[in-house]
Amino acid sequence: MINLTINGKAITAPEGSTILEAARANGIDIPTLCYDKAVEIYGACGLCVVEAEGIPKLLRSCSAKVSEGMVVNTESERVVQSRKIAMELLMSAHDGDCVAPCQLNCPARTDCQGYVGLIANGEYDAAIRLIKNKIPLPASIGRVCPHPCEKACRRKNVEEPINIAQLKAFAADIDLNAESYLPDLMVRTGKKVAVIGAGPAGLTVAYYLNIMGHSVTVYDMMEKPGGMLRYGIPQYRLPKEVLDKEISLIEKSGVEIVCNSKLGRDFTIESLKAENDAVIVAVGAWKSSSMRTPGEELEGVYGGIDFLRGVIKGNAPDIGEKVAVCGGGNTAMDACRTAVRLGAKEVYVVYRRTRNEMPADKLEIDEAEEEGVIYKFLTNPLSFNGENGKVKSITLQVMELGEPDASGRRRPVPVEGKTEEIAVDSVILAIGQKLVQSDVSELKLNERGNIEADPDFFNTDIDGVFAIGDATNRGASIAIEAIGEADRCAKAVDAYLNGKPLDTRVPYISKRDESKIDYSDREKQSRLTPKVLAPEVRNKSFDEVSLGFTEEEAKAEASRCLECGCREYYKCKLLNVAQRYDIDPGRFAGEMPQKYSHDENAFIERNSAKCILCGLCVRSCREVMDIHAIGLLGRGFTTDVSPAFALPLDQTKCTNCGLCVQLCPTGALTEKANLKKQVPLNEEYTEQKIDIDGKKASVLVSRYNGKILRVIPNDDLSRSMKLSREELIEKVK
Amino acid sequence: MRIVIGQGSCGIAAGAEKVKKALLNTNINAESITITGCIGMCWLEPIVDIYDGDKLTRLVRVSENDAEAIAEYVETGDESKIEKLVVSDEDSEFLTKQTRIALRNCGIINPDEIDAYIGADGYTALKKALGMTPEEVIEIIKTSGLAGRGGAGFPTWFKWNAARQSAGEEKYLICNADEGDPGAFMDRAVIESDPHNLIEGMLIGAYAIGAKHAVVYVRAEYPLAIKRLKNAIAQATEKGIIGDDIFGSGFSCDFTIKAGAGAFVCGEETALIESLEGHRGMPRLKPPFPAQSGFWRKPSNINNVETFANVGWIINNGGEAFAAMGTEGSKGTKVFAVTGKVKRSGLVEIPMGKTLRDVIFDIGGGMKTDKPFKAVQMGGPSGGCIPAELIDTVIDYKALGATGAIMGSGGMVVMDESTCMVGMAKFFLDFTAKESCGKCIHCRIGTKRMLEMLERITNGEGKEGDIELLEELCYSIKDGALCGLGQTAPNPVLTTIKYFRNEYEAHIKEKKCPSGECSALIEYKIVPEKCKGCTLCARNCPVDAISGTVKQPHVIDTDKCIKCGKCYQSCRFDAIVKE
Repeated sequence: MINLTINGKAITAPEGSTILEAARANGIDIPTLCYDKAVEIYGACGLCVVEAEGIPKLLRSCSAKVSEGMVVNTESERVVQSRKIAMELLMSAHDGDCVAPCQLNCPARTDCQGYVGLIANGEYDAAIRLIKNKIPLPASIGRVCPHPCEKACRRKNVEEPINIAQLKAFAADIDLNAESYLPDLMVRTGKKVAVIGAGPAGLTVAYYLNIMGHSVTVYDMMEKPGGMLRYGIPQYRLPKEVLDKEISLIEKSGVEIVCNSKLGRDFTIESLKAENDAVIVAVGAWKSSSMRTPGEELEGVYGGIDFLRGVIKGNAPDIGEKVAVCGGGNTAMDACRTAVRLGAKEVYVVYRRTRNEMPADKLEIDEAEEEGVIYKFLTNPLSFNGENGKVKSITLQVMELGEPDASGRRRPVPVEGKTEEIAVDSVILAIGQKLVQSDVSELKLNERGNIEADPDFFNTDIDGVFAIGDATNRGASIAIEAIGEADRCAKAVDAYLNGKPLDTRVPYISKRDESKIDYSDREKQSRLTPKVLAPEVRNKSFDEVSLGFTEEEAKAEASRCLECGCREYYKCKLLNVAQRYDIDPGRFAGEMPQKYSHDENAFIERNSAKCILCGLCVRSCREVMDIHAIGLLGRGFTTDVSPAFALPLDQTKCTNCGLCVQLCPTGALTEKANLKKQVPLNEEYTEQKIDIDGKKASVLVSRYNGKILRVIPNDDLSRSMKLSREELIEKVK
Repeated sequence: MRIVIGQGSCGIAAGAEKVKKALLNTNINAESITITGCIGMCWLEPIVDIYDGDKLTRLVRVSENDAEAIAEYVETGDESKIEKLVVSDEDSEFLTKQTRIALRNCGIINPDEIDAYIGADGYTALKKALGMTPEEVIEIIKTSGLAGRGGAGFPTWFKWNAARQSAGEEKYLICNADEGDPGAFMDRAVIESDPHNLIEGMLIGAYAIGAKHAVVYVRAEYPLAIKRLKNAIAQATEKGIIGDDIFGSGFSCDFTIKAGAGAFVCGEETALIESLEGHRGMPRLKPPFPAQSGFWRKPSNINNVETFANVGWIINNGGEAFAAMGTEGSKGTKVFAVTGKVKRSGLVEIPMGKTLRDVIFDIGGGMKTDKPFKAVQMGGPSGGCIPAELIDTVIDYKALGATGAIMGSGGMVVMDESTCMVGMAKFFLDFTAKESCGKCIHCRIGTKRMLEMLERITNGEGKEGDIELLEELCYSIKDGALCGLGQTAPNPVLTTIKYFRNEYEAHIKEKKCPSGECSALIEYKIVPEKCKGCTLCARNCPVDAISGTVKQPHVIDTDKCIKCGKCYQSCRFDAIVKE
């Protein structure tokens, strides 16, 4: 035995063993990407380098042998720098997306590709479980979300994005109408948390903290929970029955909701703090913003959310026959379409820019128009004119579009001296909403007049009091933004309650350069949208406009997904090492190797753009299997792994033994899952013995949500049998 | 009289074959016309040496049209016939100032005749060595201080001894003749001009380490070298010098040649072994070293051509005689292939301890044009540049290493003030990036990223921090690359940054190329006061970017101009300037 020191720890190792073997045997992890016991030492990745006292060169620990008295440092500054640059270089030439852009653009980081893919496969139960990891109110959010995911969806570069939001609603509706999914709860911690506000933010943070084992009570000032989802969104867009069902599931999972209980009236933050281990303020923004236009105080001028709330509560104001809605967002659309449904004859939408600049969802804009709404683009109210204190008309300043502003939209500028007047019975100002500051007088506000909360930890100026959602920082935003914050806040509060540190670093992931992606090989396939009620029917009714996807439609729509995110994301060794070091591959950004040889057979899919040339596939095919189905091609930066003579895998001697796939440290070689549409899923791998001709053979079985997705031969016997996947799955069963 | 025509590849390229044909067509007795290998005076090729007994008359830059004049001289002895062809005294100094050991027979004997070699004391060293024990041979090599001439400078005896000590009956002695540095041709000259010297050196080495198989790995781009070596092996085999029981000593050794397929990395010894075994030329991780596990996993020793070319001489003259030349750390002589902006380019063998000035100015005759000497690139893409202020650096492994350059295998590219050092570094890096085998990350991607940065800089797209980032990457590649190719690839960049940082800064900050070589950063302009309106530039311009009327100053349309420099070169009035 040899005595040596690694990272200050005295260890012994058998003579002839490598530093890597000695370190790993003693629980010291040295990263590697090209090393595997099954094949000969290769030394390509250079990540296993270590420093040894008295040796000027860095040693590759996979090959350097231990020697008596050796003093090794596996994490010295020089070693870390070497690994870091190796990873930066490697990732600068790794042309792949770890995570799909839809997921990255979702403020809640919902795994859109995951559930869309599961829906395409008809795996609705798994889909809802995946969704509920991030959104506890998917049927509601699916209906109302302005879906930033779809804006990032690359399918738009082929024709149109995937209808992600509606697919979510589809899966969630199936769950609501059957035996609904309830999350497994963690061991109870005995900690108590109070949440103020039962809107999307409050309900979400409560849902996840409850799952984490804490007892959560949500207090809400209104008679029913749901916040803006209930009181800000009209029935025809989000039926309250759907919302009720979803909230009742949250309650069923263990969250207590107390309504008609208002901050400042029934309790204070201080009083809640005294009874709880943490308090989360999620009170929302319940005041309509002013336009600072003369005449706003006139009778018949209403705030957008005040108007919508009144209608929902059953005490709609008398808006008369001619209604003008000011604003171009989704609240304006909700207001004008509600006004139509209340029987108004002429409903105008006054917006200072044009249709193209409207922040509202395009579908909403179109559907409102179908329902008879009249758009007054490029106009801005100069004054609301009244008679006897009641609004009678609006004077509009005619605008034109000038230079683009900071948001990239062209700035509206008044056309000198050009005005217009329209007669109205009422005006609805839908230009934004604000926090009611008097409610949160106990907390420090920022210069915008919102609660100041840390963007990572969500703590306020009072210890143990956290704040999220529309009431905080930059003010009101969309529901999914609040849900994302709530999810992260739950983790922060959990860490706070457990006295554990919270890692707020955004882990590195690889992203492809969007501008360099070629879609010319994709077949065009139009986007499907659920059928809707006819305009002449729906403009008289508060029934839900959308009829939702049929199963057939949902599967077809979900199947359009381009599968941008990497299937190996959950077990990618490359990403694991990349995230271990604080890397910035952008420093070395340059040309990509332009290797796009893509090839697949029934089992194996090859994507050489992601290949890191560790050589494990080539070597295992040659050294272990003696098959030589793949080899290295070319030289230098464009070196590629390719089947012999660049033939498709099926035309080589490949026996689908799966060894290369098993050893590939990244997504260059993947074993296809037992699914029609391939989906990146956090599969569970277990080793299992199967019976082959009376002998026991080892296989690796991956399962997801109970379903067997892949069976990978794991020893010489199972590899040599050339069994088809169906046969393997049959044997595992 | 004997007429000897220099027929190395360089001579043939210059027209030596045509000269030979023309001479054979004269009335000179065909039997008196023979060939020799490379004389080493590249700039004077084709060369014809006329021996009258021991008296040598060297004719240079001979063309086939000179054949008759030469024939007349041979017939009549009338020196006036060849007066204008005779080499100048000054040029002759190129050879007389050298000390030739490895090249001792080059350009003198006929490489196709084993007897010519034997006549020059050939194979006496082998005979002598076979009379000693292998340990004694190794001891002589140790005394000589001979170090690997391929570039790394590792003590030859140590490698021989390690291979000798390695367990196993089956061992291999391998000659690395995969000479790939741009501008280097020392090994080619030795094989083409004196193949038996290589064979003798290798046989002595094989005997010393206990190998029964000798292999020469030579690049396929050296067809003449392969041809002459094959011929030499056949002749030596016929004479019993190669084969079983050589000289009755009981020592047997066979010889094979493997032609490399043109990958630079195969000059790296472990990649060379992979290639020999029929695999893709990629380096293996060391340890194990070839002395333990090499060709076919057997103990193997690999030396460069020039290393072997010294061995016979050392055995015959003793290790001390070799060690008497050179410096404390570097013994014997070294061959350099001197090229570039130097007046006399060719092969130079000098004792270690001479200075760069001795090679470039004393022997090489200084600069070709009136532009001053700027720097010399030593060791090709693996080496570095040494600036003018270090011209008195001594040729010694340590002293050269201290400058950031290396001794290298002998490539010496001389540059004057017209060379852009950033462009020079880019040139070599482009070479290594393309020749990277693609195995390790640092080399495969690192050199590519460095090249991209250099391309940006020379295109005027460099940005603040690029030099520091380049340096960071350079040091990381040196530390992390798997083999010598990658580990040394950053040297040209590091040394040019070290000595010419101001040039990098000028490219990045001022978007200017001080030497005017980077076309993206220069503009050609006509100085109206100097332009006579001769129209020559306009007629030479390939893209019609120059306009003007006769006898009036012309103008360059900079939008059309492709910066080819034709106008600049053609103007007789210096009216065109680069800015």
